[in-house]
Amino acid sequence: MKLKLTWLMTLFMAFVMQLSFAQEKTVTGTVTSAEDALPLPGVSVIVKGTTRGVQTDFDGNYSIRASEGEILVFSFIGLKTTERPVGSGSTINLSMAEDLAELETVVITGYRGATNASEITSSLSTVSAESIEQVPINSVDQLLQGQAAGVNVNTASGQPGQSATIIIRGRASLNGDIEPLFIVDGVPVDQDNFRSLNQNDIETMSVLKDAAATAIYGNRGAGGVILITTKTGKKGSGVKVQYRSLYGTAINPQTRFDVMNSQQFLRFQRDLLPGTQFGDGLSDAAINLIALQSNTNWEDIFFRRGKTRSHEVTITTGGETTSSFTSAQYYEQEGITIGSDLKRFSFRNNFNASSRDNKFNFATNLTMNYSTSSFVVDAARGGNTGGQLDNPFIVPYIGLPYMSPYNPDGSINIWGTGPTSGGGSGAFNADGSINGDGANGFLNTPYIALNTAALNTDTESEIKIVGRISGDYNFAKNLTVGASYGLDYTYIESLFINAPNSIRGLITPNPGSEQKGSQFEGFFRNANMIANAFVRYDNDITDKLNINVAVFGEYNYTNTQNAGFTASGLNPALPGSGAGFAPGDLTEGEDNDVYNYIPTVFSSESELALGSLFATLDMDWDGRYGISASIRRDATSRFVQNREGTFWSVSGRWNIDNEAFMDNVDWVSTLKLRASYGVVGNQTVGSRYQALQTVNSGPGYQNASAYQLGALVDPAIQWETSNQANIGLSFGFWQNRLTGELDFYNNETTDLFAARPLSVSGTGATSVQTNVGDLVNKGIDIQLSYDLLRKSDTNPWSIRLNANANYNKNEVTSLPGGFTGNTLRIAEGRQAFTWFLERWAGVNPANGEPLYLDADGNITNVYSVDNRVYLDKNFDPTYTGGFGADITYKGFSFNCLFSFQADRWRNNSSLAIIEDAGLAGFANQSTSMLNAWTTPGQVTDIPALSFGGLRAVDGDRYLEDASFLRLRNVSLSYNVDRKVLEQTKLFSGVRVFVQATNLFTWTKFRGFDPEGTGATGFFDYPVPRTFTLGFDLTF
Amino acid sequence: MKKYLSILTLAGAVLFSSCSDQLDRFPVDQLVEETAFQTVSDLQLGLAGAIGNYNPNNFVEFNSIFTDNCGLGVDNGGQELNTLNQILNPAGGDRGIWVSHYSTMNDFNRLFASAATITPASSEVAQYNNILAQAHAFRALMHYELLLYYGFDMTDPSAPGVPVVDFVSADAFPTRNTTGEVLTFIQDELDNALSLFPAGTSDINFATPDFVTFLRARIALETGDNAGAIGFATQIINNYSLATPAQYFGMFNEDDDTTEVIWKYDSVQGFNLGLHFIWNFTGPGPFIEMSDELGELYEASDIRRSVNIDPTSTPADNIYIVGKYPPNADTQAINDFKAMRVSEAYLIRAEAYAKSSQFPQAAGDVLAVRTARNPAGSVSPYATLSQAIDDILLERRLELSFEGHRYNDLKRLRSITNSGIERQASDCEGAIPCTLAVNAAEWIFPLPLTETNANSNIQQAPNY
Repeated sequence: MKLKLTWLMTLFMAFVMQLSFAQEKTVTGTVTSAEDALPLPGVSVIVKGTTRGVQTDFDGNYSIRASEGEILVFSFIGLKTTERPVGSGSTINLSMAEDLAELETVVITGYRGATNASEITSSLSTVSAESIEQVPINSVDQLLQGQAAGVNVNTASGQPGQSATIIIRGRASLNGDIEPLFIVDGVPVDQDNFRSLNQNDIETMSVLKDAAATAIYGNRGAGGVILITTKTGKKGSGVKVQYRSLYGTAINPQTRFDVMNSQQFLRFQRDLLPGTQFGDGLSDAAINLIALQSNTNWEDIFFRRGKTRSHEVTITTGGETTSSFTSAQYYEQEGITIGSDLKRFSFRNNFNASSRDNKFNFATNLTMNYSTSSFVVDAARGGNTGGQLDNPFIVPYIGLPYMSPYNPDGSINIWGTGPTSGGGSGAFNADGSINGDGANGFLNTPYIALNTAALNTDTESEIKIVGRISGDYNFAKNLTVGASYGLDYTYIESLFINAPNSIRGLITPNPGSEQKGSQFEGFFRNANMIANAFVRYDNDITDKLNINVAVFGEYNYTNTQNAGFTASGLNPALPGSGAGFAPGDLTEGEDNDVYNYIPTVFSSESELALGSLFATLDMDWDGRYGISASIRRDATSRFVQNREGTFWSVSGRWNIDNEAFMDNVDWVSTLKLRASYGVVGNQTVGSRYQALQTVNSGPGYQNASAYQLGALVDPAIQWETSNQANIGLSFGFWQNRLTGELDFYNNETTDLFAARPLSVSGTGATSVQTNVGDLVNKGIDIQLSYDLLRKSDTNPWSIRLNANANYNKNEVTSLPGGFTGNTLRIAEGRQAFTWFLERWAGVNPANGEPLYLDADGNITNVYSVDNRVYLDKNFDPTYTGGFGADITYKGFSFNCLFSFQADRWRNNSSLAIIEDAGLAGFANQSTSMLNAWTTPGQVTDIPALSFGGLRAVDGDRYLEDASFLRLRNVSLSYNVDRKVLEQTKLFSGVRVFVQATNLFTWTKFRGFDPEGTGATGFFDYPVPRTFTLGFDLTF
Repeated sequence: MKKYLSILTLAGAVLFSSCSDQLDRFPVDQLVEETAFQTVSDLQLGLAGAIGNYNPNNFVEFNSIFTDNCGLGVDNGGQELNTLNQILNPAGGDRGIWVSHYSTMNDFNRLFASAATITPASSEVAQYNNILAQAHAFRALMHYELLLYYGFDMTDPSAPGVPVVDFVSADAFPTRNTTGEVLTFIQDELDNALSLFPAGTSDINFATPDFVTFLRARIALETGDNAGAIGFATQIINNYSLATPAQYFGMFNEDDDTTEVIWKYDSVQGFNLGLHFIWNFTGPGPFIEMSDELGELYEASDIRRSVNIDPTSTPADNIYIVGKYPPNADTQAINDFKAMRVSEAYLIRAEAYAKSSQFPQAAGDVLAVRTARNPAGSVSPYATLSQAIDDILLERRLELSFEGHRYNDLKRLRSITNSGIERQASDCEGAIPCTLAVNAAEWIFPLPLTETNANSNIQQAPNY
């Protein structure tokens, strides 16, 4: 007992001693970065176990009251948190090192903003600025190709600025929107238009993939969400000016088909092809003579080297309470064919300010951009199919080699040549007059394309503004309120001119009109507005339990207006001007009663409104366990009877690495298990008025005003529902040398917007689009990064390898009627967009006839739609991903990225055209046609030409594996050494780089480019190979 | 804390209540059905919409391209190959006629439903009645055409016909009515139309009493009611005279003469059927041509040669361009579809006479048409039914080519001619079939997949 008492007394005395001797004093110091010894502003300095804390100022200095024996904790995002005991002195200086274990620990999530990676419960991928800056691809969505697991990116055309189609974790909708919601600095933006935005402004892109991350976006989040955060200045960083430039050239991709030359083609016509055509009856000598004069490879004429140029100035500032980022860029990129280009001027200013006590924060983000685009008649443009004869990409396939691209004087011929009977292209009659029909005929294809490119106009000028102001105020202990207002504004002026003196102008407005040509001008304006307000409660309830709750109200409103006119009959002397339009009431014809020039006008408007209330909850226990939940109630103007929907998610994590039992497991740096489940919606189904049975007003019988019933609707239509489950593991081994994320997901879309078949006789409609059908996407995402070598004092090398991949299995589990579609089907029990075709079985050696497999797999010579079978070949890829390496050695760095898609099948209809004997009278053919069957016993792929054109009966003959592996980007750069720079007294950084984009593509697809967004490739505009050289100068 | 929570709740409530007004968004560019039809003028707009949706082109396309009247055009880039190759399957082989007709039927049915809610003022009664009369007449016409192509047998009243649809439904799955039931419905509709036509209804761009008579003549011929056919055709023949060669040229080439037209579907600038483009590209260039066989059948002295064969044709190269609906003087190829002409009434009557073994009368009617077109024309007396039918069929081919009759004529008369479609060798090169057997399944149109997939009550045509 006595002993006990003594001990107690001692303890008591100890307290007393402490109380009496531990005098609080002021500790000061400077915090610098270990990397470059520069002061670090904004470092949080806290006395451990207390709430006393300050931040370092502009010069990295701090001053804090602390007692001897207490411990100061210095923390800064991305740097290693360091503790220093307060000793007898009053100065503690610290050099903070990069935290390799905690590198890239901050990720951007939905409404919570920057969050430590260890606290994330959802599945997301982050793409950082370094991997997208100065890459000459002008649409940020395209830049994601190969960058993140589960993000499938395809581009429809090589037009500069072309938006990509992105599908995250498989196609989750059949007829609704499949693309993710794009949010730039908190503002939802048009997912299909990024050409005016400067990607160099981007700090990070976060791809939110599971319900835990996306349910907070309610009925817009089912396809995933991509958050784009642009750059800001760092407080206290001073003024930094950077000039960046880029020069480059784009060339056409590798050609994976061979067409005939003049000799081959004329001999082919003469010797092999039945029927009557130009080559018939030509002697060898005559053919040789023609081939000697003209042996045109039309690729050489239509592809050009497209120039890329970019100049950019950025200024970042950082004061004590404010920071800003400003950029201005001029960008110009030419496509690989004449008449295709993009020019833009982009401006951005991001401004942040905080009160001195950091209780009030304010930010504005504003980007204003102007771009002009010129287009060619490619397959992705407007309502084109690719089969237009003025499509420049049809010409390398079908342009006849024996026609010369040149006039006698050596200039490019943009009209064509004489009558077809004399081997000409038919543009001119024998008397030298122009022949409007012949000029627009198949034989004249190359010249039509050249003529359209030279004389006609198809441009768009765009003003794009994305802006947001936001503020928040920590008005009471643990409570913060905030509000923001954002706008995405797009204004596009289109100009399309069929010049009166062009080949297309000859038949516009119609072949008989006396005046020619037409001019369309369109004015499109789209504005998305968002207003948001929130209250957040954040408290460390105990030293182990943290709770963060936030409640939000939000209103989104979209207004789209579109108007324009088409005028006909243009005065060639007044190009582009209304003064040159023929009067609309001008009459022609024998009886002066034909109106050829009546202008057409249109004007339309539509709206969309979304009111929402939502809340989030995040709880953390000791850094070991976390639970997050979100719930959102959305009310949308799209639907009427089912206007309001509730979307939610719950998710949890177990940070295994923080468990006590892991203390001795040195090789595990990070280990976190995540799980989530939630319900997300997709409201973008059908029209904006899909729930209302509409009646259209327009011209009816005898061009009288008329009312016609719009498509039959289901008034009870609602959003598609995506039920998403995700289990994931985040890991880092051996001091995070190997890090990665492995996720398994199962997303089930119910209430799919699809056609419920109706009896057309009973209802007047073949189907009604409504919420029927289910589909499932199951898959695996994996992202890995491995530091083969890390830079250190002794090792100048750093080698990091990274890879990501996705396996996705899509299955339509329920669809009324069992299937929709014809040869490309959506069928119950199968992947969406699966091929259903007759099977081509080659050529019968006995007689050269085409052979097929019947439905049972037996050889037959009968083509019948009854022999169509499911081929188990799908349009969407099963595997996607990318891999690459970042290698640095002293000032040099080498980066490369490969992207791939596998198990993807597209119909190559371009190739079918040049293996169609029915077209060989006027279209060049593949050299394979020289192997056409001629003699019994001959084994060949090409049937006897006497069977004519087989394109309509070719079944799966041209269904090709469009899988590809692409060297997406490779660059080598050199950063001039800091010591050298110091001597210049001007630059603080100089970087020079060379780069190649889309340098190699490996594929079995026999065309220019396997990528494309259509299931059928038909003379697509291929994605170019681009070589660039650039430098970044920092002052 | 409590204070803040209540402020928050209040703010949320205010937000949501102000939002709900913001969420009622109605289309700016469209009407909503509940409120679209309120007056007789609205109904008139609905009628213009419904008639505007009636599409005769499908019949013109199918009857010419599927048969021996057409061949592959020199500028063919794949267009119309399925029909030329006589692929008639449930996957779209019917050229969408079923869908198009029943969808248009629905427009008329909805027009009736809307009309029922409107009471016309006395000054509007005539207009109101005419709208209803037109709707009845078009419903009759479309039911007839559906029965003709999709019905199993026009001459057997108990054979499966097509669904009679005179109602509006969002989920009906009708079954086929019998031929007899459909025909009864059609006759009732025609009676309704006749009773509602305001006095003096004679605009040949719309249904008229003569339209009703003409349709009855066609029905009588198809159903084997020869006496009826003769009677109705005679009524028409008494009211209209055959066009002279000059008038005939004006009718088709200039699209202005209507001497012998009982009903035409009006094409105007801005609402043009575009018949020319069924076979030709916009700056001519045929992807489908008139068959060599038909081209050779037109004699030089026959005005129909100048009309049907486009002057840009080069017969020496076997290139016969369909010229019946030319770009003509207005340069825009705006041509009415002359759907009912008196010459057809002559040939209906001739056929009915022939089937009633009144050969001289039959020959007389054929001669009337033949000599009206070709002063050098003549008819040899008919000794047998088969002889008479062969000659009538020939005359129908020459007279009604590219007007939507050929397939149907061959179908109706194949039991007498004992032959299906026979193409001349030069018209069926390559993959194009030369013969369609007299007993082929393709003589009855298959129901499109879209109907059979959705509607288990309905019976597919045999052998599909």
